Amino acid sequence: MRIPHSIRVAALVLATTAFYGYVGQLVPQKEVQPPQETAFAADLSTADMAKVGRQIMEGKGFCLTCHTIGKTGALRFPDLAGVDVRAMTRVPGLNDVEYFAQSMYEPTAYVVPGFPPAMPPINKPPIALSDQEILCVIAYLQTLGGTPTVTLQTKHHYNGGAAAPGAAAAPAAPPAPGAVGK
Amino acid sequence: MNIKDALQNKKLLILLGPVLGLVMFAVTVKMASSLMKSEYRDAYRAPAATADQTPRVAGEAEEAANAAKVAQDKPYKEVDYRTFPLVGSRVAIWMVAQLHLLFAAFVLAVPIFAFIVEAIGYKTGDPRYDRLAHEFTKLLSVSFSLTATFGAGLTFMLIILYPKFTNYLMSVFSPTFLPYVLLFFAEAFFLYTYYYGWGKFHPLVHLGLGLGLNVVGTGIMLIANSWLTFMMSPKGVSSSGALLSLTDAIYNYTWMPINVHRVIANIAFGGSVASAYAAFKFLHATTDEERAHYDWMGYIGNFVAISAFLPLPFAGYWLAKEIYAYSQTLGLTMMGGAFSWLFIIQAVLIGNLFLGANYYLWLGMGRVEGAQPFQKFVKYLLAAIVVCFMVWATPRSIIATVSEIRAMGGSAHPVLGFLGVMSAKNTAVNILILTTFMSFLLYRRTGKISTVGWAKAGQAAQLVIFALVAVFVIFLGVYGYFVEATVRIKLSVPQVLSVLLAMVSITVIDVFLFRQPRKTGEVRWGRIPAVSQYVLIFVAVTFTWLMGLMGYVRSGLRQHWHVYGIIRDNSVDAFTPTLGFATKVVSVTVLLFFLLIGVVFWIASLHDQPDFAERSKARRRGGSGEVSPELPVPSPGA
Repeated sequence: MRIPHSIRVAALVLATTAFYGYVGQLVPQKEVQPPQETAFAADLSTADMAKVGRQIMEGKGFCLTCHTIGKTGALRFPDLAGVDVRAMTRVPGLNDVEYFAQSMYEPTAYVVPGFPPAMPPINKPPIALSDQEILCVIAYLQTLGGTPTVTLQTKHHYNGGAAAPGAAAAPAAPPAPGAVGK
Repeated sequence: MNIKDALQNKKLLILLGPVLGLVMFAVTVKMASSLMKSEYRDAYRAPAATADQTPRVAGEAEEAANAAKVAQDKPYKEVDYRTFPLVGSRVAIWMVAQLHLLFAAFVLAVPIFAFIVEAIGYKTGDPRYDRLAHEFTKLLSVSFSLTATFGAGLTFMLIILYPKFTNYLMSVFSPTFLPYVLLFFAEAFFLYTYYYGWGKFHPLVHLGLGLGLNVVGTGIMLIANSWLTFMMSPKGVSSSGALLSLTDAIYNYTWMPINVHRVIANIAFGGSVASAYAAFKFLHATTDEERAHYDWMGYIGNFVAISAFLPLPFAGYWLAKEIYAYSQTLGLTMMGGAFSWLFIIQAVLIGNLFLGANYYLWLGMGRVEGAQPFQKFVKYLLAAIVVCFMVWATPRSIIATVSEIRAMGGSAHPVLGFLGVMSAKNTAVNILILTTFMSFLLYRRTGKISTVGWAKAGQAAQLVIFALVAVFVIFLGVYGYFVEATVRIKLSVPQVLSVLLAMVSITVIDVFLFRQPRKTGEVRWGRIPAVSQYVLIFVAVTFTWLMGLMGYVRSGLRQHWHVYGIIRDNSVDAFTPTLGFATKVVSVTVLLFFLLIGVVFWIASLHDQPDFAERSKARRRGGSGEVSPELPVPSPGA
């Protein structure tokens, strides 16, 4: 029996559409929920802040979309492994907390050589992290090569504190060989 | 006299009409009086004023008064969102908007190439081109109505389902609405005079109508594009959304790249749908003349589609660059975040488009006498396309189990992972474009030999340009692995420019090489395997699906924002769905589009059908009633 061309054409349209729909099912499936405001307990410990900071970096902050942790080679944005060590000395007059705060509130003030000035201000839309959320991110960043020192009450240049070059520096871990200046 | 003949007897019908009317009137009167007699009537009660009020009646009256007071005191409350039944508001808006865009793209594209084909016909004096342009235009009027219907549906649905956001958008863009409406009227005027005025005006006047149709259509698109690009990359408003400059709001970061990208993509899409129409007609053709005509029409449609498709990635690159320039976060969400895997699906689609387009060209070589010398190159071209396709579709990271990830040393494959980065993908797509361009060039040469004195030198120059550019593109791709990010992201610009340069320079040389060629064989239109027509339909479906997918990423990129960074989406649909869900919606929309475009094809084909009276006469004479439409027969070698 010869199948009419109209039926064949309809079958082709259906099969092609179904095929592409099937290809769409083969890729990773992830539903992205809109970010929620993080509720903070007043007595949140620094260690817990670091955990929250890591979650913010993976989700609402979009940090790990661009940055990597512990990756080498041709990178598009700076790798964050051991970043606290570099943050202590990278910009003269800024300690690690002030440096991290500057990187997030005013990211083009200092751009790591070899990388594009592409980071958006994190406290403004569309990311719009709150001051407390940014402190949590700083707490996590401090764990990468150092020891977290910030609390939810920590003040820096961008959340009402005075510019404090060199002040309230976190206890520094010894720099990893070759890490400084990266 | 049988019943069928009786129904066609006008005198009898005129007599029976009033009789039937009287009978129906009498039946209606009878039914009404019968219903009146059996109507329910309340039992008699004394009037309220003459009877004592019972406590129950008093209570009911008080309740009614209270309810009325509450109703009167109810404050007006503006709702932010309403819900569409079953599928939800987002999916409903998504599908209607996509259908509107698909028809709009078709309605904008067809006049562009109909105008060009008609102009060629006028210039050359060859009536075949005029007829071809007319045939393309036949598809327009029904599509135009459907575009307007879906546009109106989209507007009403936005007002009903997203009232607050729509109100905001109106407050920003209200000055653009009147020009939009006026242009729409002008488009209707130009379209219908262009179509119904075919052959009724001086050719130059008619071409002027076609030009007017294109200018007005493009104007409409530019206005609508300003609304949607503002949502993606808002400009000219304060951080709270207050309008500061309408000009800036219109001329936002992505407006012009989207304009250019859409014009080119619309032409590619329109060409492919028109060629699908030709393919459908070819498959149903009953004579060699019909087959020859529709083979030619399909070829022209596909030529238009692929010619527009080749520069499309460059326009896409410009758009992506502007998205990054506006917001790195937006750019990275697109390429490295929630939507990164969408581009693997896109690679599959574009790979199929290139394969389909090339396969059609290679099959088409068979209709030209003396094509054999060129057919030996097909296998090399196929190999190049397949390799590029594979590189482009290689994901950076692979879905794997924990043990597999450990074995690989990460989510990227130790070898193939290197092909999943932009350096490799940019190189692959540029080589893919060059290869398809070569297929075109070979097809163009079939059955012809250059007669100019510098033919050998010219062909050698073409080959050298092609080889140099291919090597240069691959070199930059490899070089990208060894340099810093700031250098690497700039390498795609010379890659793109060199490919464009090669395409332009090789085409210019080719035009002069084959100005007055010696023919080694004729083109036998209609002598092509039926499978080629299915390829055209496959290409049209793939184009449509690709438009649906890219429409989704452009719109979905805003994620939980109506206007990115300004007006947040607080509806229940604010989340970004999985790619699997998105592709299901795209698939259903594409199927609906093809169902509707099938109706458009059917209505357009009615034009070629003989009149009812003619068919009746033919049937009475004992024939089948089928009358072959008058078709232009392409002259040999066209």
